[in-house]
Amino acid sequence: MTEALLQTLLNGAASGGVYALVALGYTLIFSVLGVINFAQGALFSLGGYLTYLFMGGNIGVNGALPGWGLPVGLPFLLALVLAALGTGLVGLVVERIAFAPLRRRGAEPLLSLITSLGAGVVLVNLLQILMGAEGYAFPHGAAALGQLPESLLIGGARIRTIQVLLLLISALAVAALSLWLERSRSGKAMRAVAEDATTATLLGINSEAIVRLAFLLSGMLAGLGGGLIGMSVSLAGPYFGISYGLKGLAVLVLGGLGSVPGAIVGGLVMGMAEALIPPSASGWRDALAFAILFAVLVLRPSGLLGRRQLEKV
Amino acid sequence: MALLALLGRSTDPAAKTLPSSAPLRLGAALALTGNANVYGQDQRMGIGLARQWFKAKPQTRPVQLQLEDGASDESSAIAAFNLLIRRGVVALIGPTLSQQAFAADPIAQRQGVPVVAPSNTASGIPQIGSFISRVSAQSSVIAPLSIDEALRRDPSTERVAVFFAQDDAYSTAETAIFQKALAARKLKPVSVQRTQLADNDFQNPITAALQQRPQLVVISAQAVDGGNLIRQLRELGYRGQIVVGNGLNTPNIYPICQRWCDGVLIAQAYSPELNTPINRTFRRVFAEANKGRIPGQIAAQAWSAYQVLFEAIQRLQARGGLDGVTLGEARKHLMQELLAGHYDTPLGPIHFRSDGEVVQERFYVAEVRMDASGRSGQFTLVREQDLPEGGP
Repeated sequence: MTEALLQTLLNGAASGGVYALVALGYTLIFSVLGVINFAQGALFSLGGYLTYLFMGGNIGVNGALPGWGLPVGLPFLLALVLAALGTGLVGLVVERIAFAPLRRRGAEPLLSLITSLGAGVVLVNLLQILMGAEGYAFPHGAAALGQLPESLLIGGARIRTIQVLLLLISALAVAALSLWLERSRSGKAMRAVAEDATTATLLGINSEAIVRLAFLLSGMLAGLGGGLIGMSVSLAGPYFGISYGLKGLAVLVLGGLGSVPGAIVGGLVMGMAEALIPPSASGWRDALAFAILFAVLVLRPSGLLGRRQLEKV
Repeated sequence: MALLALLGRSTDPAAKTLPSSAPLRLGAALALTGNANVYGQDQRMGIGLARQWFKAKPQTRPVQLQLEDGASDESSAIAAFNLLIRRGVVALIGPTLSQQAFAADPIAQRQGVPVVAPSNTASGIPQIGSFISRVSAQSSVIAPLSIDEALRRDPSTERVAVFFAQDDAYSTAETAIFQKALAARKLKPVSVQRTQLADNDFQNPITAALQQRPQLVVISAQAVDGGNLIRQLRELGYRGQIVVGNGLNTPNIYPICQRWCDGVLIAQAYSPELNTPINRTFRRVFAEANKGRIPGQIAAQAWSAYQVLFEAIQRLQARGGLDGVTLGEARKHLMQELLAGHYDTPLGPIHFRSDGEVVQERFYVAEVRMDASGRSGQFTLVREQDLPEGGP
């Protein structure tokens, strides 16, 4: 009984960590701009592919350059960091293309949902043209992690080593981000912009730079998540990030729009809820997860840790 | 009313008389995007190679191919079928998934357009209508062969875990066949886990199944989710035998489950090792186009789908069946000719039953053997079996 409970907790924490990572990407942008970046799922895919290429993976036969690959393969953690940076830079490009022009014209924030969705679709299609539609697994699989065993037995419950690593890296990234937001000058500036962009600008904060920083960090989180998931479960074609993007969106709402602790708690709640579903109903996991989301929103519309939006008059 | 009828008739390509020597157009609606694209890309390859090969041969009527992306969902397959039919194709190849076929084939049936399915193996596909046929033997015929092979290797097997993608019509139909085959061999699954096609992380269902200590795992899923499932099963410590269904019948699983694919058993309707002139040709042209890769069943069936239509058109043209007829009549004649023919394909000799079901007598059980790098492998033939028409 204890083993089964521990297994459930481990399973839930492993999935919840990734959901939290994805939701945090949304949260950063939502908190400074009040909009959702629908390209986040596509950036998640991009992060996976970049990590694969940096590790020395070759493009498959259906890609634009079949067989092409970097002459050297980097260790997983280095490849992951570079991929996160690369994805962050593409996140900046998305901001320039899909958000900045609308912001300059003072357009309805709702419109950026469509432009970001468009940017995401273009990005996924570009990935398909460049990399082909086939699935990829990372070179050397879990062996790239060194001499670590494929799975660990913790108190009678079994978990794959990569998932433990994934959870640790996610926790580290979330902790670093929280610390940065809390302690650093630029983190405080971001919080100020999130609170009120106009007042922040009057106080001498360069709001535009903060928005760009939010997109860079958000893209990096997506890239990090994509690389970690790619290592854990392989890259299931260019669309694989979209489903994680949708789940992250649900977690964002569940935890409370724009709340960093909410994204973490929401991710863990979602992961645990999925893990608690009995085997006979395992195929209904997504349906149940969204039913929980629905129930929470009915009881608490601002999400688990979200603040009630005050209407300014 | 009469005017409307006249207008409708004038815009319907089926009502127009076929030009006597113009090329006939074949349409192919394949999953080039979405989850099923791993099959669609192989199908495009198989059909493309067949088109090149047969184009170079003497022909009584040239054939053009129009390819449309049927994506991986029902609505896209319907849209692709509609588009191709409106463009005046004489017959259709596709769609990729059985689930799509149940939605799109009735469109072709209503408009009298012959369909040859290259990879739909769920029960009931040809029975959708008189214009629907397939070159892909239904899974109820071949799937149980791999169970037999697993039991032959380990007769002490008593505990079986079953996994299937519940949101895929084909996988749900196939798992019913597998479970029926298990029941016929007095094996009751100790665990039945439902997954979904878009699932990547199988930690929950796998740990639940492994608590029942299975000796055999039977999987009905598609290539990417199934490949991931195999990998995670092995990583979580499962060392018993794995039998997979037709959804994993593609070399595209190699990069997903890598060295963990090794030893997986699968029943197949195609073996690259079949030593016939047409299969040797197919293997050669496929390898030339794919850096030496060995073709899989999906590509072989796609080649065969093009081949049966091409040969039926040539025969029909040679005996004047396409002279002075409308496109609608040509489609009807072509369907009759298709069903009447015998074909020597890379799958082996095949013909059709009157309801459009393929008749193929020889089937195979293969084992995946990965190379030392764990990056590539092949389906190694472990058993051949001749089955009488109607299955086991």
